[in-house]
Amino acid sequence: MNNGSFKRVKAIAKKEVVEFTRDWRTIIAIIVIPILMFPLLFIMFPLLLESEAAELNSIVVDVVIQSDEVPDSLLEQLNDTSILVYEENLTERTPLSNPGEDITRLRSLSIDAILRIEQRDDIWYYAIIHISTSESSNEARSRIIDGIIAWESNETERIISDEGLDVNTTLNPVRWDGEISQGDVATQGEQAGMVLSLFIPLVLAVWTFSSAIQPSIDMTAGERERGTLEALLSLPCTRNELLFGKWLGVATITGVGVLLQIFGLLFAIGYLASSSIIGIPDLSLEATALIILSIMLFAVMVVALELALAMRSHSVKEAGSILGPAIILIIFPALFTQVINLDGVENFWFAVPVVNVLLALRELLMDRVIVEHIAIWFGTSLLYALMAAYYAAKQFGREDIVTSLS
Amino acid sequence: MSETLMTISNVSKSFGDVNALRSISLEIKSGEVVGLVGSNGAGKTTLLRLMSGVYKPTSGTVCLDDGTPVDKMRQRLGVVPESTGLYSRLTAWENIRYHSRMHGVSDKDSWSRTSRFAKHLDMLENLGRHTKGFSRGMRQKTALLRALAHGPSVLLLDEPTAGLDITSARTVRALVKQLRDEGGTIVYSTHHLAEAQQVCDRIIIIHNGDIQADGSPDVLLKDTETTTLEEAYVSLTQEKARPRNDDQDNEGRFTKWWRRLFTPRVPRYIEGDDSSE
Repeated sequence: MNNGSFKRVKAIAKKEVVEFTRDWRTIIAIIVIPILMFPLLFIMFPLLLESEAAELNSIVVDVVIQSDEVPDSLLEQLNDTSILVYEENLTERTPLSNPGEDITRLRSLSIDAILRIEQRDDIWYYAIIHISTSESSNEARSRIIDGIIAWESNETERIISDEGLDVNTTLNPVRWDGEISQGDVATQGEQAGMVLSLFIPLVLAVWTFSSAIQPSIDMTAGERERGTLEALLSLPCTRNELLFGKWLGVATITGVGVLLQIFGLLFAIGYLASSSIIGIPDLSLEATALIILSIMLFAVMVVALELALAMRSHSVKEAGSILGPAIILIIFPALFTQVINLDGVENFWFAVPVVNVLLALRELLMDRVIVEHIAIWFGTSLLYALMAAYYAAKQFGREDIVTSLS
Repeated sequence: MSETLMTISNVSKSFGDVNALRSISLEIKSGEVVGLVGSNGAGKTTLLRLMSGVYKPTSGTVCLDDGTPVDKMRQRLGVVPESTGLYSRLTAWENIRYHSRMHGVSDKDSWSRTSRFAKHLDMLENLGRHTKGFSRGMRQKTALLRALAHGPSVLLLDEPTAGLDITSARTVRALVKQLRDEGGTIVYSTHHLAEAQQVCDRIIIIHNGDIQADGSPDVLLKDTETTTLEEAYVSLTQEKARPRNDDQDNEGRFTKWWRRLFTPRVPRYIEGDDSSE
């Protein structure tokens, strides 16, 4: 590329970026949402869940206990868990879990749950009748189960003790020696890498594809529809310069979006790490460099393909109806990649389009640098990127792209 | 005698089965304003796009004075397409500067030329405004300034006064006249004969992809033995103008078939069959 050619490509890319940044809706979609997405997901969402759980814990639930004789020790356990108990005689016995007439009371939410319990010979039989679509009914059921488990534990210990046995050795004859976590030789960083490798590749792939859709359409079918392409094509630049300039523009916008999303993700991980929920992944310098390389190759392919498909379309509407559903081409392989077992993974997976980059990202996030795999995904990704670029160049070389529908 | 700036030799252009232009040959000489006159679909825009290098001829050549094909020397051309082609989120000056940079002209030189012509078009105050809110006239003037900013040898204007109000159209025509007086070479497409007569030194009448006449307004009147250009045009283009063909859209066969599948037939009463009611 000579100096003049480089200047023209730069001018095209610069104009595209400037024009794009002047649309505040785009800035929100490409810049603000990626920054906020992961922090909202990883920080705000757990906080919200926490506050909802606290709210649920503070409520008092109404529970009816149907029994001929409720054990006092069970009542004590239940009274400790904010349950308002109403006692009734047991009328429904075959079996206890049959709701019978009580179905109306539960469906009208006049009570939250019913505990039926009766002793036959030496065994206590019980059933909890509740309505699973009600949060307070679920909470009541959960508290009853907690109470019964604690009561059952006490009863078990009492029976063992009454038989003259040692409770501890009878109930725990087999035991783990030492700290359970000591048995795992994977470091905290490696474990964090594995957790992150389950969703970061998916998010990166989907976001790269989806954030490139709008600029790709705007810079091709949009120009065509608005009638600005004819003036552009009459300028002293080649179609390949035009393609490269526009590719650079889309890649810049998409790249900024993806980078900001990664920053948002790292911020969220940092927050979670400070709460000891997740560790910081151990990544070597070469793994980090290879991650960047794989994303770049993926971006080259995706942006070129999207530009080509958008340029092939006669209108913005047509381009949108092609590129929107095309995201399935990323989502399905991405989901599929998540379930591939990386231990002993066959080499051919690293040659499958999209899957290769996602698998590479998964491996690299776990700091596994396997030369054979790298050679395959790098070679095939480069090939796919070149094929996409060739296809895009072919579409940009079409004479009919000048035809404006407006 | 003026030197030839652009030579069009035996140029034909086809879109699928449609021959948009058939074996056209002409020369554009330095300092002349050439009017391309014809009805809609006659081939004016196709010829202008061939001249600007946007289209490649199916056969024949379009070359500049040094024998270089136009698509290799686009920096010598200034083009104003019918749609003006302005970016609405850029200011008028940014639109102009963008094209100038693509032509390899410095911002300083571009501004110098732009400000001179902008004064003439009463656009100087508007150069810093985004073109989104511009009227059709202002957009056309900006497109003209953009085409002139790099100092082209030939200016190609596709219906520059179409859709303009009377004042704007007068201003555009006045600028064309000024450029002609300064020795500029302009190819001007229009379907307004009066405008062509007023502005152009030479008129080329295109009809159904062929050149029907080529000469000064006086020569055309003399050759057709008519008193007005309108009469001359009618006598030269007796044949009905061809309809535009769908094939020019270059849509796929499946797309066309699908669209037709969900398009109802024309009701018979529209076709004039009274018996259907």
